[in-house]
Order: sequence, then C-alpha cells, then structure tokens
Amino acid sequence: MAVDWLNPYHLQVASFVLINTLLGVSIYVTLATGQLSLGNAGFMSIGAYTTAILTTRHGFPMPAGIVAGSVVAALAGIAVGIPSLRLTGVYLAIATLGFGEVVRVVFVNWESLTGGAVGIAAIPQMGRELLASLRDAGFAPESIGLRGNQFISLSVFLILFASTLCAIGFFFRLGSSRVGRAYAAVRMDERAAEAAGIDTTYYKVLAFTQGAMLSGFAGALFAHATSYISPADFTYHRAVEILVFAVFGGSEHLLGPVFGAMLLTALPELLRSVSDYRYIVYGILLIAMMVFRPQGLIDPPLVNRLAGKKAAGGGSRDAA
Amino acid sequence: MNGKIRLAGLVFAFVFAPVLLGATGYAEKGKGPEIHAKIGVISILTGPGAAYGEAITNGFKLAQEEMNARAGLRIDLVIEDSSGKQEQALAAAQKLINSDQVVAILGPTLSTEMKVVGPEANASGVPIMGTSTTAQGITQIGKFVFRNSLPEALAIPASIGKAVRKYNLRKVALLYGNDDVFTKSGYDTMKKVSEEMKLAILTTETFQKGQADYKAQLTKIKNLAPDAIFCSALYEEGAVILSQARKMGIAVPFVGGNGFNSPKVIEIAKGAADGLVVATPWFGEKDDPKVKAFVAKYEKRYGKKPDQFAAQAYDGLTLMAEGLKKAGKADRAALRDALAGIRNFHGVLGTFSFDEERDVVMEPAVLIIRNGKFQLFR
Repeated sequence: MAVDWLNPYHLQVASFVLINTLLGVSIYVTLATGQLSLGNAGFMSIGAYTTAILTTRHGFPMPAGIVAGSVVAALAGIAVGIPSLRLTGVYLAIATLGFGEVVRVVFVNWESLTGGAVGIAAIPQMGRELLASLRDAGFAPESIGLRGNQFISLSVFLILFASTLCAIGFFFRLGSSRVGRAYAAVRMDERAAEAAGIDTTYYKVLAFTQGAMLSGFAGALFAHATSYISPADFTYHRAVEILVFAVFGGSEHLLGPVFGAMLLTALPELLRSVSDYRYIVYGILLIAMMVFRPQGLIDPPLVNRLAGKKAAGGGSRDAA
Repeated sequence: MNGKIRLAGLVFAFVFAPVLLGATGYAEKGKGPEIHAKIGVISILTGPGAAYGEAITNGFKLAQEEMNARAGLRIDLVIEDSSGKQEQALAAAQKLINSDQVVAILGPTLSTEMKVVGPEANASGVPIMGTSTTAQGITQIGKFVFRNSLPEALAIPASIGKAVRKYNLRKVALLYGNDDVFTKSGYDTMKKVSEEMKLAILTTETFQKGQADYKAQLTKIKNLAPDAIFCSALYEEGAVILSQARKMGIAVPFVGGNGFNSPKVIEIAKGAADGLVVATPWFGEKDDPKVKAFVAKYEKRYGKKPDQFAAQAYDGLTLMAEGLKKAGKADRAALRDALAGIRNFHGVLGTFSFDEERDVVMEPAVLIIRNGKFQLFR
C-alpha cells in the first residue's frame, strides 16, 4: 500500500538543496547590480531568529513568522544597504562580511532573547505541524498510501519547492523588466547608467534589499525545516558557502547560482559511499572548475546555445 | 612412534568431531535464534572535530567485534559522516532510518546535531543514543532519545563539590567561552552550583573560541584573589588559559568541566596543568579488570590509549547489545523498551543506569592533575 520509493532521506536532501538554491538566488540578485555582498548569512540568521523567536515565545503561526522573518531581514537590508553601498568591490564585500559577524556576535551575547550560544530548540517543524493540524481535521496520510514520516518530508519538500519556484520565476521575470534592465545597466557601467537617467542608488539599495529579504526567507524556512538554530549555523563559513554557489555555478545568469547550489549541496550526499574522502573530491572539483571554467559552469552563451536563438534576455547580457 | 601418535590423533578426531560439532550446535540452539541487528552510526569523520569522531568510531568498532564474537547476536554497523553540521547529520539520520532501515542509531557527536536529529528519530520511532552529547535537554526530546554520556549537569556539581570540601573554598571567579554550546551550558551549571553552595562569585569573565591571549581576564581575576577559578572551556583554550594563569602567578586550583578532561591538557600546558580538578565518567587507570582489558585491547588495535569518547562509545554499543538481548529481537519499539529498563549495567565507565527520562545515572570520578598525571582526587 505504502509508496515505498518515496524515501524521506532523498526528500530531506532535496529540501536542503532547495533552501540553498534560494540562498544562491539571493546572492545573484545583488550580483546582478555588480555588488558583491557577503552578508547573506547574516540576513539569513535574522530571518531564522525572527521566526524562531516569534513562533516559540509569542505563539505566532508559522506562515506569519516566516513573513515577519523575511520583512525584518529586508528592513535590515535597507538599514545596512544605504550607508554601505557607497562602497564598491572588495570593500563592500568586507563590510558586509563584517555585518554578518556582528549579527552573529549579537545573537551570541543577547542571551535573554536568543538563548546565546545554546540557540533555540523545538522550533515548530513545517511538516510535523502540518500533519498535526491535518490529523486534527480528520485526515490520515495513510489514506493516500503514505507513512507519517513520508508525508512530513514530502510536505516540507513541496512547500520549499513551491517557494523556490516562485522565487526563481519572480527573478527570471524581473531580469527582462524595467528593473532588471536597470540592474544590468548599473552592473555594466554605473556612471553611464546614471548619465542615462537611472537612479543608481535606488536600484542598488533595491537589489541589496531583495537579496536580504530572500536570504531572510531562506533562513526562516531553514529554521522550520531543522527545528533548531544556533549562532554557529550562520558563521562566515555559511557566507562563503553561498558565495561558492555563485562562483561555481556562474554569476552572470540566474540559473548559474541555482545550479551551483543544487550540485554543491547534493554532491556531498552522492559521495557518501566514499565517506572519508568526500570533501577531498569536493575540493578537487572546485579547483578544477577554477582552472577550466573560471566564469562558472553556466554563463549566458551556454544558456543561449541550450535554448536555441529565442533567449533575448540573455542576449543583451552577452555584450558584457 | 611419531606415526602412531598421528594415527591416534586422526582416529580421535574422527570419533570426537561429531560429538564436538553436536555440542556446539546444541549450544547455539540453547541460546535461541540469532538476533541480527543493523545499527546506524552518525559521527564526524571529516572537518574540524574529526578527532572526536575517530575515537568514537574506534570505540564502536571494538565493541562490535567483541559482540559479534559471541553467539546469538550479530551487529552490523552503518557509519555515516556528519562533518559536525546539523543539516548533514539530519540527512544522514534520514538515510539510516529510511534507506538502511536500521534498528537504532548511535550518535550524533555534538549536542547541536542531536537537537536536530533527535526529534526526527523520535518521530520515526527509532531509538537513538548519544555517546558524547552532554548539554541539557537532550533526552527530554522524546521517549526514543537516550544518552550514555555524562551530562555537564552531573559532572560539574561533582567536581565543584569535592573541590569546595577539600580546599574550603568561599570566593570564586568564573571564566567561560560564551560562543560555544558546550562551554556555555557548562558555565550555566557552574553558576547554578556556585549559587546553591553559597559561594561568592567575584567576577564572571568570558572568552571566545580560538582566542590566544587571556591576560586581560586573568589579570582582573588575579587582582580579586579568588580561592579557586571555575573554568568552562574545551581543552584547546583551557590548556592555554592554565599555562598563562600559572605564568602570571595565579596558583589557586582550577575546576573544569567535561571538556577540560583530556590528556592533551597536560601535553599542552605541561607543569602548569597541575591543580586542575575535573569530573569524568572515564578513568583509564581504574583498578577494574574490564577497564584494563578494554585499555589493553584498544591500545593494541589503534596504537594509543582510549579517551573518554572512545570509552563512552564502547559502552554505548555494549548497552545496545544488552538491550537487543533483552528485547530478544531486532525491533525498534522492543529495543526502546528494553533499553529504558536497563539498570546497574557494568561497563568500562562503571555502574550505569538509565533514569526515568532515559538520562544517565552514575557516579563520576573526580580527578586532579598532579605531577603531570591524572589521579583520583580524594
């Protein structure tokens, strides 16, 4: 009766792939205006902590917590973005990296609110909450041939899948809109863009905020997928990991970071059979990428070739 | 002459072989059907913290060999890496529970990992036992969650209690790492115990992971002249703190938590380590045949003395085997009930019981470093 091929393990890995995909998209958005932000781990932690505190201490329902997490992260994005966007290039990268560490240290030391280094446990988990409320409504997952844990993992996966699809769809459409073209103009030449009448500061802050909001959203989902968070989850390792998604997959096309996040999250799991050596393989792969394809795995010419001639949106970027 | 003996031996062998075979066959039948159990292990095999994972998996493997050498039980271990990350630990647990269909899980290594993995295993009805998770609130996750590692909440009161009685302490200074779950929860216990014992806390100083210079904190502590310093640190930082404190002329005893309990402290701090008091579930020099046999076997196999983590892992799998034997079959729910009922189990850590909340009941040994060696603190 039970659908045996539906393995919660595979769904679990797929769920983390999707969360990382959202993070990959979030770094792409800021990169689309030519800014390198390493603060995504910080925004992610803001989103995660906001929803964790609201749902565990103040009885907020989970969707409200997730929305609040994204909004607070976006507000933090505006607050950080306006002063720091006067910096460019490596200076911005360092400033945002510093921001991420500041946020983490605040979470470590603000014990009354965040529990300090011990973190926040027993955060409601999406799948378990959904199953509990459906059971109250008289629905049993067994009636559609699923075991409890299959249903939990499947619902988490589907929620994340829908969220990720929406995010990718939104930013894909954005790319060929007025805003997306303004982003591209700012990225290619900021002064020329300004001369052409584009409010560069506005668009840069907008992109930065969008990236922060998406990171916060991913962080909130992360909190409700693992049900436990601590400041140690949001160190600069996480920021670098997110950056690697973009570097590995390619930062010039939306699908680059998406693909990079998917591959680099799934890879350590696929390599479980060589347990002790899997991170060696991972490292070698990264080095090989830098040698043979420094622009990343996916770039606009490749997408155009794959998509035939119709890719007009990518075509304009080809000029870069 | 020689040939005759050989012939006699041959005849003897032919005559007695069926008898002997029959006897062993009978013995096996007498013990009932063989229990075949697949047990999952989540451990840190790569990345920082892999040293803990190595000791732990060594302990498991040694115990596995021993258990499998006996009749009636066969244990297969499926070992998965977590790299010390919660997501990886959770994925590994899902794999073990759903793909490998293990009957129980040993691990994961860190308390933070357990807080993510525990609820999942509990919801799936798989018994899970931490052998190195010492933070508070682990077994309270659910009725399938066990641990056999001495929690800080038991270790620290023991070491502080003995030190207070012995040195007649009245005023103390607290020093802890505030960005690590382990040292932070150790500090919480230290503070609670100090307040309960009505000790005057002169100051509370903090440091961060990987810090190299503790002179600012130590100077402040020195000027306040406490009777002792309670320090919640892992050995990496703790050993450096000890050595800097002694160099600054702070001669008072140090009382540490579980993380301080490592031979590495002596290696790094050398003579400065003298006077450190720790409570530990594991004392390798104990005059107990079980402990001696374990230490000898481990040393022969891996070329070094077992530490606390190896010993806890060894006892962890032995406890699982005990539970399986009591349950009589490799069944998740039956194993859980059998494990929860274990009392007064005699392992290399000493006499061990699970309490009502599946947490540890045992008497920790309090040790002090004297002349560069861990000794029982009396």
